[in-house]
Amino acid sequence: MNRRSSSAIPVGLSLQPDDDFLGLLDPIICEHIDYAEIAPETTWWPTADGALVTNRFHEQFAALIDTAGLFAVAHGVGMSMATASTDDQARQQRWLERIRDDQQRFAYRWYSDHLGASSLAGMCMMLPMPMPMTEFSAHIVQDRLRAMQSVIGDVGIENSAFYFMLGTPLAEADFLTAIVHPPGLHLVLDLHNLYTLSVNTEVDIAAYLARLPWSKVIEIHLSGGADSDPAWLPGGQTMRLDSHDHAVPEPVWSLLDAVLPRCRNLRGITVERMEGTVTPSDVPLIAEEIHRARSASAKLR
Amino acid sequence: MVRTAATQLVTKRAAHLRFERLLAQAMIARDPVAAMRAIADDASLPEELRQAAAAADPRGVEMTALLVARLRFERLIQGSIEAASWFEREPDQFAAAFREYHQTVAPVVFFPADEGRLFADWLRGRGGARNLMHYRMSAQHDQTR
Repeated sequence: MNRRSSSAIPVGLSLQPDDDFLGLLDPIICEHIDYAEIAPETTWWPTADGALVTNRFHEQFAALIDTAGLFAVAHGVGMSMATASTDDQARQQRWLERIRDDQQRFAYRWYSDHLGASSLAGMCMMLPMPMPMTEFSAHIVQDRLRAMQSVIGDVGIENSAFYFMLGTPLAEADFLTAIVHPPGLHLVLDLHNLYTLSVNTEVDIAAYLARLPWSKVIEIHLSGGADSDPAWLPGGQTMRLDSHDHAVPEPVWSLLDAVLPRCRNLRGITVERMEGTVTPSDVPLIAEEIHRARSASAKLR
Repeated sequence: MVRTAATQLVTKRAAHLRFERLLAQAMIARDPVAAMRAIADDASLPEELRQAAAAADPRGVEMTALLVARLRFERLIQGSIEAASWFEREPDQFAAAFREYHQTVAPVVFFPADEGRLFADWLRGRGGARNLMHYRMSAQHDQTR
């Protein structure tokens, strides 16, 4: 499989700060992908006085990208796009300055983060929380995207895998459309997040997709997940989790085939796996996922 | 009284800030579902935000709160060799300490090392620093084997 020849749309893989992950997937990274997705915050370490310095993965990722001839895109989870509180402002400013420095090394082509607030009133939730889908919230997210734009010109928001919503699922599609309406703001469409939403809420995926701003979709994410442990919720209930720890399921591949023809400004398809989730037996599966994503986009030519 | 646009914006911002704080508190509450229900009933919030809270699926609220706690737990284990060693040797005791920590100390840090420092400070404050010293020595002993 020659990555340079067979698809018009680049295919990428998320890099994780995990030696086993990097070691096992090195042949795939070096030979079969076009770009690396990096969560910038995974390459930093905080000093005791709150400064952000690079950890060993910062240079390791940069060297790998150089050696493999890849380009890089930034996809964070910690910028907290929908936080209204100013409690988190100083941290966000430090992060933006750190990313400005990182841009010298990585030359990220675009920078995206998740819809939601991972910091609420100064408290770190780690995963994005849903916010009320109000006009006010949309302006908050747009302001945050514009701040990111001061560092990297093309920025985007990703549809998150919320386990509860503060409104209807279909309203989320309208909300995303409103947010990315201004020039330079894009949508990262995570198909497994959408699939997770459909399993957990029974939302009509076709109706959701019909409301999305297709010209704004800059990147598609593919990943897998799992059902939660029945012991976690009362009565043995389970939910689908966006855990990025299993193969991309068939319904997500079907979604990819359905949406690709609509995404005329698509710049990348990223396969994602979390750290600590790759074993030797996963390597051929991930290689096949890269190949399948490439084949799907090649049909568009 | 005619509200100016600026006054309306201040009011919306204040309402969203209050909502955000209540949501954060719900996520670390002993009963997140009840806390979410209380947000939906909070007369000080505008109708729009109360309806948003009322739309929250209790199952999803429970799951999200659980994931917030699990991620914090993982962050602590990753950021503190002593905590990791304690968990390995006395998982039930450590889990009980973590539950108390999670509900007592607001999760205000992002990085694992910072969470480790916060936990150590909390333990020291409740006279539990001796526990961590013991596990620091145990962890060092394990590393030399």
